[in-house]
Amino acid sequence: MIEYSQSENRMVLKLVYYGPAMSGKTTNLLTLHELLAKDDRGDLMVLDTVDDRTIFFDLLPFFLVAPSGLKIKVKVFTVPGQVKHDATRKAVLQRADGVVFVADSQIKEQMNNATSFENLEQNLSLVGIDIEAVPLVIQFNKRDLKEIIEAAEIDRLWSSSGLPVLFSSALKGDGVVETFAAITGQVYEHLDEKFGLAALHGLAKDAFVDQLCRLRGSDGDQA
Amino acid sequence: MNRHSEQIEYLVGQEHDLPALFQSLEVRGLLHEALNAGVLQVLIKLEDGSAVCSEGTQNSAAAGREIRMPLSLEGERVGHLLVRGREGDDALDAVAGILRSAISVVMHNNLKRMMTAEMHTSLVTTTYDELLSKNLELSASETRYRELAQNLEVKVRERTEELGRAHARLLQQEKLASIGQLAAGVAHEINNPIGFINSNLATLRKYVGRLLEMLDWYRLQPASAGQLNEAADLKARELKLEMVKGDVWDLLDQSLAGAERVRKIVADLKGVSHVDEAYGATFDLRLEVERTLSVMRAQLPVDATVQCDLVDTPPVAGNGALFCQALVNLIQNAVQAVPSSLVLKLGSFRSPGKVVFSVADNGSGVSEELRSRIFDPFFSTRDVGAGTGMGLAVVYDIVKNCGGSISVGDAPGGGALFTMEFPLLSQEGV
Repeated sequence: MIEYSQSENRMVLKLVYYGPAMSGKTTNLLTLHELLAKDDRGDLMVLDTVDDRTIFFDLLPFFLVAPSGLKIKVKVFTVPGQVKHDATRKAVLQRADGVVFVADSQIKEQMNNATSFENLEQNLSLVGIDIEAVPLVIQFNKRDLKEIIEAAEIDRLWSSSGLPVLFSSALKGDGVVETFAAITGQVYEHLDEKFGLAALHGLAKDAFVDQLCRLRGSDGDQA
Repeated sequence: MNRHSEQIEYLVGQEHDLPALFQSLEVRGLLHEALNAGVLQVLIKLEDGSAVCSEGTQNSAAAGREIRMPLSLEGERVGHLLVRGREGDDALDAVAGILRSAISVVMHNNLKRMMTAEMHTSLVTTTYDELLSKNLELSASETRYRELAQNLEVKVRERTEELGRAHARLLQQEKLASIGQLAAGVAHEINNPIGFINSNLATLRKYVGRLLEMLDWYRLQPASAGQLNEAADLKARELKLEMVKGDVWDLLDQSLAGAERVRKIVADLKGVSHVDEAYGATFDLRLEVERTLSVMRAQLPVDATVQCDLVDTPPVAGNGALFCQALVNLIQNAVQAVPSSLVLKLGSFRSPGKVVFSVADNGSGVSEELRSRIFDPFFSTRDVGAGTGMGLAVVYDIVKNCGGSISVGDAPGGGALFTMEFPLLSQEGV
């Protein structure tokens, strides 16, 4: 958590999209930005890129208020996937409340997925986050491509981890909001235990997730 | 080094409030331009009502219309823009809209710039901290290695000295071994003459006894010449003086010759060991070879032949005793290499600027791959324990000490050929 102030009745959360280079982390955020309702969220902030590759991070902020008046800001970050930006990844990962690991479904990228996941495990432990406890979902992206690893194989490989695995095609907009809903749902449960979101603030899980994942053009969108 | 990390504690995603984004004059300029467009007053206020920025004055008489527009930062409402204008100012809405958009863009861009700067600073700080700690580690390991290197030098020096002492000890042992062999040969040589000198002296002692007895007898006889002669003959016969007379000269001659042989051997031995000479002078190669051969001859097998083809050469720099030692080693080597019918060929000749001396045998020679190693200390082709591996190393050292060089090759008709080259002292040989 970036910030929690009881006096201001305010909390700022951090979600991080992690994964190997070119797996579609920024595309996930771009798609969320495009699909989700415009009010109560800020603009997508793409910090400087080189050749369209993230070098610092991208940020998509959301804002909501619980019935109790608790202000909740959710800042969704991406990290640069290239190996050389490890220091940046570590900095972004600090005090994350949830992580989405965006894997590349292409068969030739499986090695990079594994390396990047190892890197995630290592960096989480370096910044003092317990990988067993932190909300974490796996997204296998680029399902629209050919020569991809089969869903059954992915299930077989990942079922033992107990982590939710989602399939997406970020460029086409498939599975992106579902992934976001999955991670925000987990984050809610995690927070509810500590802060009593439902009991003390009257904020139910569905309300939390629905408000964050409200699609553009649905009720209440004033854009 | 941790000071840096403590000073800049930056968390990616940390919050920025509105005043932090309006430090520059750019927003004030925008507001001012709005006044030029006919707006009476423009204010930017936080949610709690405090003003961050304002331009123009509130003219209660003229102010007729007020437009409030929310300002959001990262989706969160953080304040609002207040535009007051005259009643009936048609452009007021448009100006307010433009102003809000412009301010939003400025906020967004400033936020982005700040985040970039913070991220950059954070990375630089971590990188610098890492560099510092790496630097510390490196200098620590450098210190460790420097200490190691210094110790190493001391260690190497100690070991080298130890090796040097061991080497010197081995050379000494090798020398003693050769001296021992030499002594055995010399003992054999001397034993023979001493043996017959001894036996001759015993016989002579007996003879001298008889002669003295004869003399005593003469002294005791009464003075009658005729009777005396007869009696004396009888006594002389009794003492076998006739035989003594014939033998005594032989015995003396033989003993003298034997004593002379012993004297010569001792002289040669002294020559070979050079006990009387100062160390490091020059030596006559031919003389030393001949001396060594005369001492060594007893050690050569009976069926061995030595062929010498030596010329007179100018004196060679170096210690003659050491040269003899080298030659002894080479000859012993040849004797061991060729157990029967050894033919040893020694030769010397002058060549421009140097004297060349060679020792050849008729054994099986030294194979090509062994040639570079046979002069190494401890290198031996003989069974373990049979050879010290020091013989040729000693030869090499001695020739080196004389300023010369030694090499091994094939002798004509097979066998090993050792060639030594000694530089001439002066220009006379050129």
